[in-house]
Amino acid sequence: MYKWFLASRYLYTKLIALFAIGSVMLCVAMVLVVMSVMGGFLDTIRARSRGLHSEIVLDSGSLQGFPYYAEFGEYLMRELPDVVDLTTPVIYSYGIFRVPATTWTRLARVVGIRYGDYIKVNDFEEGLHYERYFPGTTHLGLQQMPVASFGEDGTIRLPRDLQEANARWRAQETDQEVIAEFEAHPFEYAIYPDVVSTAVGERVFAAELGPARYAGPERYGIIVGCDLLNERREDGNFNRYNARGTDVALALMPLSRTGTTSGEPPIRVPLRYVDDSRTGIFEIDDFCVYVDFEMLQQKAAMDPQELADGGFTTARANQLLVDTNDDLELYAARERIESAWAEFRSELPADLSFADAQALGPVRVLTWEELQGDFIAAIEKEKVLVTILFALISMVAIVLIGCIFYMIVEKKTRDIGILKSLGASSAGVAGMFIIYAAVVGIVGSILGSVAGTAFVWNVNSIQDWLAQMNPQLRVWSPTIYSFDKIPEVVKQVDVIWVCAVAIVSSMAGSLIPAWIASRVWPVEALRYE
Amino acid sequence: MSKKALLGARGVHKSYVMGRSPVRVLRGASLSVQEGEFLAIMGSSGSGKSTLLHILGALDVPDKGSVTFRGEDIFGMGGAARRVMKSREIGFVFQFYHLLPECSVLENVLMPRMMLHSFWSWQSARRRARRETMELLGRVGLADRAKHRPNELSGGERQRVAIARALANQPSLLLADEPTGNLDAVIGSEILDLLAGLNRAGQTVVMVTHDARVASRAHRCVQLGDGIIREAGGPSGTDALAPVATREVTR
Repeated sequence: MYKWFLASRYLYTKLIALFAIGSVMLCVAMVLVVMSVMGGFLDTIRARSRGLHSEIVLDSGSLQGFPYYAEFGEYLMRELPDVVDLTTPVIYSYGIFRVPATTWTRLARVVGIRYGDYIKVNDFEEGLHYERYFPGTTHLGLQQMPVASFGEDGTIRLPRDLQEANARWRAQETDQEVIAEFEAHPFEYAIYPDVVSTAVGERVFAAELGPARYAGPERYGIIVGCDLLNERREDGNFNRYNARGTDVALALMPLSRTGTTSGEPPIRVPLRYVDDSRTGIFEIDDFCVYVDFEMLQQKAAMDPQELADGGFTTARANQLLVDTNDDLELYAARERIESAWAEFRSELPADLSFADAQALGPVRVLTWEELQGDFIAAIEKEKVLVTILFALISMVAIVLIGCIFYMIVEKKTRDIGILKSLGASSAGVAGMFIIYAAVVGIVGSILGSVAGTAFVWNVNSIQDWLAQMNPQLRVWSPTIYSFDKIPEVVKQVDVIWVCAVAIVSSMAGSLIPAWIASRVWPVEALRYE
Repeated sequence: MSKKALLGARGVHKSYVMGRSPVRVLRGASLSVQEGEFLAIMGSSGSGKSTLLHILGALDVPDKGSVTFRGEDIFGMGGAARRVMKSREIGFVFQFYHLLPECSVLENVLMPRMMLHSFWSWQSARRRARRETMELLGRVGLADRAKHRPNELSGGERQRVAIARALANQPSLLLADEPTGNLDAVIGSEILDLLAGLNRAGQTVVMVTHDARVASRAHRCVQLGDGIIREAGGPSGTDALAPVATREVTR
């Protein structure tokens, strides 16, 4: 009993113990903050990566795509109805994005999607800006520009379908805070077409005197990555300078079936900006635009082409997204689809063209995790690396505790002699110091967990406060990073691990001093005052 | 009626290395202590009194010779058995009190009892131990100082606490190493009165001292010189001690 009693007594009567507790606390807090922020970063990336794709993806592995995607989609729906809910093809191309009213251009990755199916297989719809407040109004088909009526009394009315869509959203939205926020930001607008657009707001529409209407030529819609077209503000929201429906253009360079450029000049495609997409991954939001699948397939020369002999080439896509039954385990589903793909290929005609046979070669059946594997693995490694670095720094705490306990043992040599003269064993004395270190570790870990958790939970407020004092102190800028905020989630399992390691480390740090204490010879220790 | 030997030492040798040369402190010291006896071991400074006391109390190990407690060789026991025996049967009082400064008087006195308990067994034993310890503090006149820290006490009070701590487990044998060596004459006399009173109540006491007046309070006195024990008044005896040395234990 004396071990526990004295360990607890030394804890609050020895100032030096507070330093030991302080060092454990700081190390625990430091490692916890790093693990939580990096872990939060990784989890967000993982969740958002998942939201970009379907569960299973057939990937062509090349820009010129692979044939028979549609046939395989039908094959899957027919042969594996218990596995596959939906399939939808995707085309990836590259082009130059331009807003004709300005001279502004950007290189963009052009993603061809079937909007209606695409939003069913992933979370794409959740990141759309206008679709949220005007549900059912975003599409990629031919459309005109919505022009709001701008009454002389200052009232603004949108075209009827938008007005009704907004009313539907209000009726369905359960979060009153979101509605209140919407109310707090009434429609801001760009004056069009007579006055140069300067208005900046959350939802930008062109407006003019007269009735609300749709105007301009019909063009295919384009959804633009939010960072590509807009300016990200410090608060994580965007300045939108282009009204919904603004004319934009893409210049595309089609590839031949064998992946060579066709030699033709780039194809200019006029489009209408209908929405912007926010996946939360900057590299995507700053680079991708989404257009209608069939339109892009045709412009990129991936549709069936008539051959000189009167036949047709096969249509191509770069990916086939496969939405699987939620009850199925991901990798089990992949295995079945992989088998189905092998089966399907074996049933293809033997006289495939050289280009088609070549294009089918590199097609892989992947889970969304595997597809994003390199990206996620890089961040996972970064998390492990940073955690190891900080854990190594925290090893200093073990050395520090060793030093502190050595000092305590040196100062307590006489007490150790007294205890031994009263009947304490060497193991008992060593145990007392190890318990003492464990208590230091426990108290330090608890305080460190509280401090670390409090820091992580308030990390954005702390950063804002620091940035108020000096803008240079803002280390996490939404204008740079993919996320608006530093992750603020502390996982219980991380806390348990960090605390356990800290307690064991504290005990490890006390081992040598405890051994020294156990070797104290009571006769020597008590000889002199 | 002949008394039973509580403690016996036979041919105890002990040497230390000082610098490069060994110093033979004990050269075959032999001694027998009867139950209920108050024995004083006298000797000049550096004669090995404390070394002998430490060996008798199993704090130190002899190079040669044996020490028996109730007829059992204490250095023939296993380490754990010796520690338990030491905790239960032998109480130590030191010249410099050697109290734990972070603990109160009560906690210092409770410490030997705590050593006999695990964390869990102490939970059930604690109440009784506190009550008995308070009674013990009452016997040494410190019941009202139970919550004080050692640095809030006088030298005499500290030595009383040390005596109470030595008696915490109701040991058969109390070993006192110069118990008055750090106290003035008046306070020292009070401490000796306390030891004498305990002895009258049946406590066996072995005390080492270099002071003949202190030794005179014992029933019997032996002289430690040249590493061996001689009855006082013997070959290197002190005349002043002769009456004490030859006095019979009368209890």
